Amino acid sequence: MNNHDSLIANLSRNLAPVPPPPNINRLAMVWFCLSAFFVVVLIHLMGPVRPGAFLQLVEKPRFLLESLLGLAAILWVCQSAFRGAIPGALTSRFYAFGIMLMILWLAQYLTGLVSPALEPSMLGERDHCFLETLIYSLPLILSGLLLVRRLYPLRPIRTAMSLSLAAGMLPALYMQLACMYEPSHILTHHILPGLLMVPVGATIAMFWRPHRDMPNEH
Amino acid sequence: MTRGSDEQRWSRLMVSAQAGNESDYRLLLTELTAVIYNFLRSRFGDQHFIEDCVQESLIAIHQARHTYDPQRNFRPWLFAIVRHKAIDTLSNQNRRKKVVDNYHDELHVLSQAGRQSEAESELSQGDILVSLSPQHREALILTKFIGYSIAEASEKLCISESAVKVRIHRAIHKLQLLLEADEQ
Repeated sequence: MNNHDSLIANLSRNLAPVPPPPNINRLAMVWFCLSAFFVVVLIHLMGPVRPGAFLQLVEKPRFLLESLLGLAAILWVCQSAFRGAIPGALTSRFYAFGIMLMILWLAQYLTGLVSPALEPSMLGERDHCFLETLIYSLPLILSGLLLVRRLYPLRPIRTAMSLSLAAGMLPALYMQLACMYEPSHILTHHILPGLLMVPVGATIAMFWRPHRDMPNEH
Repeated sequence: MTRGSDEQRWSRLMVSAQAGNESDYRLLLTELTAVIYNFLRSRFGDQHFIEDCVQESLIAIHQARHTYDPQRNFRPWLFAIVRHKAIDTLSNQNRRKKVVDNYHDELHVLSQAGRQSEAESELSQGDILVSLSPQHREALILTKFIGYSIAEASEKLCISESAVKVRIHRAIHKLQLLLEADEQ
């Protein structure tokens, strides 16, 4: 026990006060809302959205359901990512449900190859939607990682992957309104770049040692 | 002390420690040392890596103390860290302390057939390891508890080195799942 006693004495000597922890659900929500706002503004600035897209949300219930499912899946995965940065705050059931929602949403587009929610059309096609999705999600990933690295993610790579999935899928989701609606185009030009951001986030996390530069490290 | 009163006291001590109270923090860490030690001992038996794991857990608690939210329960926060550190310590075990270091002659160690059964008998105290398949448990005991290198273990088990690595990896993954399920 002597080793433990001396370790405890060292850890508790000159103990610095630490700021109270943030409400993790609120922090996730703030990041999500600001990120969504950033994506929407940027997409509108970079080009016109598909004419009549918002009207389609009202008139085509399946399209609305598909979009809401995407929104719920991204929000859930975002919550998982932030909860993963607090020990014990993320249960495996909560995490699995988010992944299940995401799969369910993406399955809508696979189903759409046979029976699309909207009549496929080239109306509203954007020239660089693939690149736009990639580029818009990068600042979201970096800002999210900046927030979670201040906490204590026990599985930093998994946390970064969840965060990157949410960040990649936000512009991918809005592209359903901003760009042409055609399921194979959606899968290859909106969803794929969103998914590609997951390994990008994992790579950043590999070089990112959150526990090494903790402000309270003794 | 009941589980509920422990929970409340630890939560109060941690909140006080977050404000910079040294004596409360010392008291909390001292109490948690015994709790962590008993938690690990009840799951892994009397293994030498437990001492390392307790210390690693205390350091992690210190580093993560700013993430404890008094609105949440203390135990899930604490045991998430302890479980993570247990797996982490076990994974890096041969980089730390090897039982074979106590022996001068490696060949002599390999001939110590009794060591394996000795370690296995200790496992009867650690119910979580008994849940592993015999092959996985064997690979884990030889490399992480007795301290054989991968090459030595592969020779002893008459399988390739990569097969030993796979078994260790799977055993540790299974332990991780078992510990997570344990808490839920």
